[in-house]
Amino acid sequence: MTQSSTRPTFLSRIRFRDAGTLLGLVLIAVVFSSLTPSFLTGPNLINILQQSSINACIALGMTLVIISGGIDLSVGPVAALSAVLGAAMMLAGVPVPIAILGAIGVGVVCGFINGALIAWGGLQPFIVTLGGLSLYRALALIFTGGTPIFGLPAEFRALTNGTVMGVPNPVVAVALLALVAWVVLNKTPLGEYMMAVGGNPEAARVAGVPVTLTKLSAYMISGAMASIAAMILIGRLGAAEPTLGTLWELDAIAAAAIGGASLMGGRGSIVGTLIGCVILGALRNGLTLMNVQAFYQLLATGIIIIVAMLIDRATSGKQG
Amino acid sequence: MPSDPAPRLSLTGITKSFVGITVLHGVSLTVQPGEVHGLLGENGAGKSTMLNILSGVISADSGEIAINGAEAQINSPRDATAAGIAMIHQELQQVPELTVAQNIFLGGALRRAGGLLVDHAAQEAEARRLLAQLDPTIDVTAPVRGLRVAQRQIIEIAKALRAKASVIAMDEPTSSLTPAEFERLVGVIQTLTDQGVSIIYVSHKMDEVFRLCRSATILRDGHFVTRVTLPQTSVAQVIEHMVGRELSHIQHRSHVTDKVILQIDNLGRGMAVQNASLTLHAGEVLGIAGLVGSGRTELLRLIAGVDAADTGTVRVAGRTLTGSGPRPRIQAGLGLVPEERKREGIIRHRPVTSNVGLPAMRKFSRFGIIRKAALTRRTQELMQEVRLRPLDVDRAIGSFSGGNQQKAIIGRWLAAETQIFLFDEPTRGIDVGAKAEIYDLIEKLAAEGRAIIVVSSELPEVIRLSDRVLVMREGRIAAELSGDDITEGQIARNAIPAT
Repeated sequence: MTQSSTRPTFLSRIRFRDAGTLLGLVLIAVVFSSLTPSFLTGPNLINILQQSSINACIALGMTLVIISGGIDLSVGPVAALSAVLGAAMMLAGVPVPIAILGAIGVGVVCGFINGALIAWGGLQPFIVTLGGLSLYRALALIFTGGTPIFGLPAEFRALTNGTVMGVPNPVVAVALLALVAWVVLNKTPLGEYMMAVGGNPEAARVAGVPVTLTKLSAYMISGAMASIAAMILIGRLGAAEPTLGTLWELDAIAAAAIGGASLMGGRGSIVGTLIGCVILGALRNGLTLMNVQAFYQLLATGIIIIVAMLIDRATSGKQG
Repeated sequence: MPSDPAPRLSLTGITKSFVGITVLHGVSLTVQPGEVHGLLGENGAGKSTMLNILSGVISADSGEIAINGAEAQINSPRDATAAGIAMIHQELQQVPELTVAQNIFLGGALRRAGGLLVDHAAQEAEARRLLAQLDPTIDVTAPVRGLRVAQRQIIEIAKALRAKASVIAMDEPTSSLTPAEFERLVGVIQTLTDQGVSIIYVSHKMDEVFRLCRSATILRDGHFVTRVTLPQTSVAQVIEHMVGRELSHIQHRSHVTDKVILQIDNLGRGMAVQNASLTLHAGEVLGIAGLVGSGRTELLRLIAGVDAADTGTVRVAGRTLTGSGPRPRIQAGLGLVPEERKREGIIRHRPVTSNVGLPAMRKFSRFGIIRKAALTRRTQELMQEVRLRPLDVDRAIGSFSGGNQQKAIIGRWLAAETQIFLFDEPTRGIDVGAKAEIYDLIEKLAAEGRAIIVVSSELPEVIRLSDRVLVMREGRIAAELSGDDITEGQIARNAIPAT
């Protein structure tokens, strides 16, 4: 299954697993475009990307965490906490760019707390971030008294509602972030460390990998991405709800898994995760266009995830 | 026992391919009742595939398996158990938290109250009965977690007896046993064969094979080479059959200089290692021998910074090292080649380049970006030097044989410009041919002025490689041997605790 080491062409660089995910997306697109003519139109495709952008933003961070052998269940509440704190700053007259940076800072701090408990405290990622899931949500609710914050400045809303050459700003922003995440994972020592730590933490340590810092970085990046996703959402809604981001973690994990990330750690792909997000987005969009009830959309999502895992299992062989 | 004309087990013309690559070409093997039969060959010769077919983990593409002359269909582990075939794996398959009795009855618990509850009392009584003839000192109510590997092996054998196995295949059973434990295993095997149980014995250690086996089947590259009777065939002949060429026996050559490169004073951790002091010179190979549990591996791990020391200092070229964990030690020029490659050595899904470059990623980076081309080129050079086969550095390291993984790990420290190599059991689980290559590499490292510590339980290995040998006993360095004093007798005398 190894590719020959003669001159790598662009095609041979696309990983086998990513090609499989892409094939899945193409399949879904073919089915929907034959069932409803409005699916394969420019505006609708842009729409799908726009709808997928928030999940993609979360899933990029999640992918790095999963690759380094962890999981981050707290992304939704982290997003909510950054959203309400960021919104409060804006209403208090803090300049918009600084408020955005402040909100991202909140996410980084939450990620640092998760990462510190996991990397230094030696606690299990699932449990730590499950605790975080309640904790950060509670902080967001306590801070706002449970009511949404309205009246975000128009200057901020314009950022998320604008377009670049017809492409919505959030899509452009997430595309840039994905590029950065791809470079980090595939081109930097940190990326190698993440894959090593997730693949075999003990061997990584013996080989001199800074295991603690690697894990910490992954959770901090995930926190930051959650905050950015929150900014995109509240910019579009014009309000920051303390209850936003419910079940975001599951969509993000699903996208990463469809894209080939192994929850055992050590394996995953940014390209795959992005395609995974678009698959989930296209599925929901297509079913909505066909007026399928939301309950069945949930059913379809579940089936897609399980089918993706089965195909994974079948193609990677017994030794898996 | 009535004489049985048919062999206990015969495999005839076994062929198996994986994705187009044939790994077994019509291999045959016969074992008589009560016989210990060796299955020999280098890694990759097809022994594991044979054992997997025998134990039903995979199915052969063609060929026949017969038990006591009757053809048997073995398509699953369940079929194998039903046919009376049991496997003792190299890596024991037990649940550490469960008791000895529970492990013996794993998957087939004795029940009471109409099948609703597990009958622990009956299980323990039966476990005690089974173990009585093997090792009565094992407490059947103790969790397996706290037991020694040798005892856990006995439990696997008890499990096989419980399943009424008439053929027991043992895959490298002695790879972590002390000489005394090996003797005990010899006794157990004798007990089994007296009862008519046949043993298939897979091992790289020729002395054991010649001690235990009356016959052996030799495989090379998936082909049946020959069936030999032992001890009528010599060790040299057997090895020649295995590797297909003659191995040269090179004498030890010393490259020691008088430049002290590593100095260790009073290093200690709990009872495991106490007051260990040593010096190591550039170009020197220092062997550390001793029984399993004498503190050899533990000392090496303290030096490498993998475990934290309670007391003592480590100095490299006169400078005392500070900081915790392996990183500062690696930066000071130390590198550990660990015993358990799978657990502590390789990142199996990652390509050779990533595994080799791991400690030196920063060196291969500019402005925070890894220069992939430079990394690949350097890895390619190093892997050529250590003779990685196949020489494909983009392949996942997990797909290489044990010997080649070991070469890659050595290459990893070469890439990091490591000056002091710490080898823990450098040739464990590595076949005869690759073993010689690893020895050559270690000697080459010494010739280039690097310093080397080799921990090994194989005395011929320690003697072959070392300029000087430290013998450890109960956590302390008990003796230092050099020159003509480095003999098996001297090492053994100093390794065994006084009673």
